[in-house]
Amino acid sequence: MNILEVQHLKKYFATQKAVDDISFTIKEGSIFGLLGPNGAGKTTLLRMITGIFYQDSGEIIFNGKKFNPEKDVEYIGYMPEERGLYKKMKIGEQAVYLAQLKGLSKADALAKLHHWFEKLEMESWWNKKVEDLSKGMSQKLQFVTTVLHEPKLIILDEPFSGLDPVNANLIKDEIFNLAKKGSTVIFSTHRMEQVEEICEHIVLVNKGQKVLDGTLSEIKDNYKENIYAINTDQLQSQFTSSYFEVIKQSNNNLLIKLNENVSTNEVLQHLINEKIPVHSFSEVLPSLNEIFIKLVEGTNNARQFQKVD
Amino acid sequence: MKKILLIINREYLTRVKKKAFLITTILFPLLYILLIFGTTYLGSASKSNLKVILIDESGYFTDSSINMINTADSAIVFYPISDTAVQNNYRKAGYDGFVIIPSLNWQEPGSKEIKFITDKTHGLGTNSMIEKKLNTIWAETLNTKLGIDKEKKEILTSSKFLVNEENQKNKNADAKVASTIGYASGFLIYFILLIYGSQVMMGVMEEKTNRIAEVIISSVKPFQLMLGKIIGISLVALTQFLIWVACIFLVYTVGKSLGSDNAIASSIVEGIQKSFNSVNLPLVLGCFAFYFMGGFFFYSSLYAAVGSAINDDVREAQSLSFPITLIIIFSIIIMSVAINDPSGPVATWCSIIPFTSPIVMMARLPFGVPGTVPVWQLLLSMTLLIIGFLSTTWLAAKIYRTGILMYGKKPSWKEMLKWALRK
Repeated sequence: MNILEVQHLKKYFATQKAVDDISFTIKEGSIFGLLGPNGAGKTTLLRMITGIFYQDSGEIIFNGKKFNPEKDVEYIGYMPEERGLYKKMKIGEQAVYLAQLKGLSKADALAKLHHWFEKLEMESWWNKKVEDLSKGMSQKLQFVTTVLHEPKLIILDEPFSGLDPVNANLIKDEIFNLAKKGSTVIFSTHRMEQVEEICEHIVLVNKGQKVLDGTLSEIKDNYKENIYAINTDQLQSQFTSSYFEVIKQSNNNLLIKLNENVSTNEVLQHLINEKIPVHSFSEVLPSLNEIFIKLVEGTNNARQFQKVD
Repeated sequence: MKKILLIINREYLTRVKKKAFLITTILFPLLYILLIFGTTYLGSASKSNLKVILIDESGYFTDSSINMINTADSAIVFYPISDTAVQNNYRKAGYDGFVIIPSLNWQEPGSKEIKFITDKTHGLGTNSMIEKKLNTIWAETLNTKLGIDKEKKEILTSSKFLVNEENQKNKNADAKVASTIGYASGFLIYFILLIYGSQVMMGVMEEKTNRIAEVIISSVKPFQLMLGKIIGISLVALTQFLIWVACIFLVYTVGKSLGSDNAIASSIVEGIQKSFNSVNLPLVLGCFAFYFMGGFFFYSSLYAAVGSAINDDVREAQSLSFPITLIIIFSIIIMSVAINDPSGPVATWCSIIPFTSPIVMMARLPFGVPGTVPVWQLLLSMTLLIIGFLSTTWLAAKIYRTGILMYGKKPSWKEMLKWALRK
């Protein structure tokens, strides 16, 4: 079942087509990565999904029904990229207030908060003010307030920026836990290594348009370039073959690109015939980072302003 | 609805719990009193002592008459000197200036022009004081010349008509008490609009620069957030006002129980009783609450719109909110016109138009309904104010919705209008 379906969503601003006909679906309980360079339209897209902006055209289907911001926001938890909390307000009070705005009763909010504060070792913060917290600490607090009401859909915009590795892992584990319990997570970032670690399904947007959509393995499969790594202990100085070309050669390692319509077995056969001892033979899949750069490169780095009719 | 209540609750409690609230609640009345007494005191204390040489060529200004007038009021002291050479070095000799009375015929009617020669400009107040003193001496001289003795003079000066107004529809009306109450309530609304209006603006700015606006707006509608803030802050202002009213009643009851033995207490009690008798106090208080809330919604929604449009730059805030502040200041100028002539066309129209009505109508109301303010005017003014604040809130909400999430350069009023008119 799909928790969210986005159909032909459009949002134009005076000088930019921020989101220009984007469609995708997100399965319930999955961790979904929304990627894109700066200014690609990610935040605008997320703001429409959270009901902050109203789309110019297109449809958002949430949990099988047309998205109704007024009611459905209670099932969504949104952590924007620019974090924000009331600086002068006590942390406990503030967390209860934000939870109440999401529809929790006070008693409910208190019980859940105590549970989370205990879990993340934040109990001593309760009567402190936000201005007393470090950036990483307030990030943690922001995360707790985002997921406290157990939303069906959790939207995290760059959740790890400003966190040290220990705390980042802590939050990462919690994200996995939440997904295991049935929550769906949308994870927006331009940090590819995190996406590879966490996400199952990704969509890449650039200049307001979708350029890539699929599961991580599908995408890597589509963008693989038939490159294999071979480890051996006997290398000729100039290694050539009609089956492949050598991309890189160092010590005992060899990086080859298969020529078209050549199977791996043919290569292995060839190596055996040549009496080269193969210790390991493995496919090198492109990293998401490489795919990202390949797709985004060549287009203007900085998004230009344009006239929108 | 429940969410608006939550927001109101937060906005109200965080402000009322602050020490600043307690301090302003206590300090404001003190400052208010200090301002009124202070200016009166400063006005009287700032009178300079001027030493003016009087060179008499007419022979009517005798030393004894000059001495008499000098002892009556020491703000300006005349020094009769016959040596005309003093004209050239009066400053060195320690005088501020001189007047020369030319030789004249006392029987000749008409005004006689005299110059006060000095090396500094002293202003109209000083001129009229010198004039008054000279005329006192001159009148005395003329009286003697004309053979008017003390008795006749008494009749001449003290026998005159005094006019007091009595409104047939409202026998108890007392213009003095009414204008005092009018001034007080007009100024109170003025201060509340300015102080709490800018609090709304600052509150919105805080949410925007803290970036919490986006978090909250993912839970509630921007309109709810704005309205919750405005209502919350208006309740803070109302609380403060009610505390002041309660204090006045406390003083009244305590003063009453002290009885007539205590001069200060009884004078306060008397003053309050007087205003009770001459002014329909429940009506004035009720209308005050209405115009205070109506005016507050009218203006603070505009302030909220400005707050949403700018970033954390206070100078931007000032320049963009200036037109709004200007209208409020304009109202207070109209108010003083309205108090002098509460039934005049300026007062009437400005008390009906919602931009100025909260302040101007409050200045007119103590003069009496339906005596000075016909019922239709009051009802029209109230209706228009309700329509007014509904439309400013509606307009502001549209600007707010766009502005609160917009970062970067400060928009112009024109751009903000575009946001407001967009669907």
